Amino acid sequence: MPDGIYSQMMKELSEGKYVFTGELEPEKAGNVDEPIQAAKDMIGLVTACNVTDNPQSFAYVSSLAAAYKIQLETGMECVYQLRCSDRNRMALLSDVLGAGTLGLTSILALAGDHVALGDTPDAKPVFDLDSTTLIHMIRKMVDEGKDLAGNEIEDPPKLHVGGAAAPGAAHLKAEVAKVKRKIKVGVEYIQTQVIYYPDILDKFFKELGPVDVPILVGIYPAKSFGAAKFFDEYVAGVDVPPDYLANMKKTKEIKDKEKRKEEVDRVNLEFFIDFLEYLKGTPSAGCHMMAVGYPRIVGPLKKVME
Amino acid sequence: MIAQEQKPMEEILGYLEGKKNIVVMGCGGCATFYHTGDKKAVDDLAAKLESAGKAVTKISMPLGMQACDTEKSGMYLDKNRKEVENCDALLLMSCGDGVQVVTEYTDDEMGLAKNVYPANDAIGLVGGGPFKFKETCQSCGMCELGKTAGICPLTACGKGLMNGPCGGVRVDNKCEIDEKKDCAWVKIYERMEKLGELDDFMSMRDAHEWGKCKRPRLFELEEPMTMMDMMGAMMNFNTVTGYTSLMLAKKPEKEKEEEKA
Repeated sequence: MPDGIYSQMMKELSEGKYVFTGELEPEKAGNVDEPIQAAKDMIGLVTACNVTDNPQSFAYVSSLAAAYKIQLETGMECVYQLRCSDRNRMALLSDVLGAGTLGLTSILALAGDHVALGDTPDAKPVFDLDSTTLIHMIRKMVDEGKDLAGNEIEDPPKLHVGGAAAPGAAHLKAEVAKVKRKIKVGVEYIQTQVIYYPDILDKFFKELGPVDVPILVGIYPAKSFGAAKFFDEYVAGVDVPPDYLANMKKTKEIKDKEKRKEEVDRVNLEFFIDFLEYLKGTPSAGCHMMAVGYPRIVGPLKKVME
Repeated sequence: MIAQEQKPMEEILGYLEGKKNIVVMGCGGCATFYHTGDKKAVDDLAAKLESAGKAVTKISMPLGMQACDTEKSGMYLDKNRKEVENCDALLLMSCGDGVQVVTEYTDDEMGLAKNVYPANDAIGLVGGGPFKFKETCQSCGMCELGKTAGICPLTACGKGLMNGPCGGVRVDNKCEIDEKKDCAWVKIYERMEKLGELDDFMSMRDAHEWGKCKRPRLFELEEPMTMMDMMGAMMNFNTVTGYTSLMLAKKPEKEKEEEKA
């Protein structure tokens, strides 16, 4: 790999390849068997997979442990998601050093949902850092070998740091200003929150203007109507299109399990093939497919871009 | 001021289970403004406790006599020494400061060992009024308002982010946690835009220095306020007009209708 590039994802992005990433979700369990299987199913289809960190503030297996184990057992490059909701700057630093030690090469730095939205609402929310100061801290650790307080780090970690963006944000100008702030502090790639509407994504790219940082656009092909509905109702800042939801709802009426699966795939392909065709004409550098628990859809979707 | 509301009766009665003689003490500070420690509130709570079979001694403190001020609450406790000595518990209609000042006074100055229970929950330092109040400052010890267009993100942002907005802003620019609350960072953006300071918005603000807030913080005054200072501060025309306008304040009709609905 070229000097200063530590991950396959960053290598491909720097070469201008259109990069696909997937998403794996550890659960409230004593193992990560399911995401390991999903990672195996997506080998060769995506360059890397994000491993979620307590999504929607539901407390699950540590994303650090899960990312390490999945990468070790499957060979799938894991993007370690790290939220500020549950850790102060010391714990974040320890986890970043831990990630480097375990051979993880990319971190997605997130503020994270408020704990009040999740399954442990009486927890004390931390947010000692925010996504921007976390990105800044990681860059400082990697580039200068120092922590936020200026303490030296022996053998600094070698990893990349990414950030999120919300193209569907209600206040687009404030959101874009925040994204530019992340770029200013040295974010290396951006993976967006899920977006369903081309016109809204166009506005986001227009407001942002040309930037040097690769942007992977987030999509969410849902494995079932329930998953799509949950996303619509509980994921902050995301609205699922009513037509897509209605079509997914109809699949519930199919009694035969296999036929229902086929219909779910058909609805997803119908919606997302059009969306991916549209993505070809945008400044996006890749697509982040958050098809959690639904690896079988990744292959057929990816074909569109070939 | 410190906004506060009375705890549910079940919780209060839970503290007092098995205890017969209760001293109910009010507060002439913030609790009086929020009707949770004035004379009427003390009378009302005492009546409820009496109907639950308690024998109650009431200590009301007039406006300006705060329970959190050791000298003032000490004076009222000393005046009622016999009742305090004989009681099974004290119930404080104040914020936690008042409860703890009274605990310390009964322990250290009166030489008694008494349970002092809170009747109120303090909600926080608030601004606004006369009807609606909002927590805007958390006395963090390191004011950031100079960097955020005069809106404290540590308090007004649900996550306390120094660099927002987060990705969870609702369609109407409300907070992801509570649809009634505005996104603080959208407000900061809009203020900075008006002030022509959007470059500042795009610059990173450093993580807050929590090291400046080592709890419990101690504070000393070289010269405490004297009675003369207090008289001088209170005998002012603006005080009179201020209280008059408060007395005449009426709730807007629209809000009354909304509440009914």
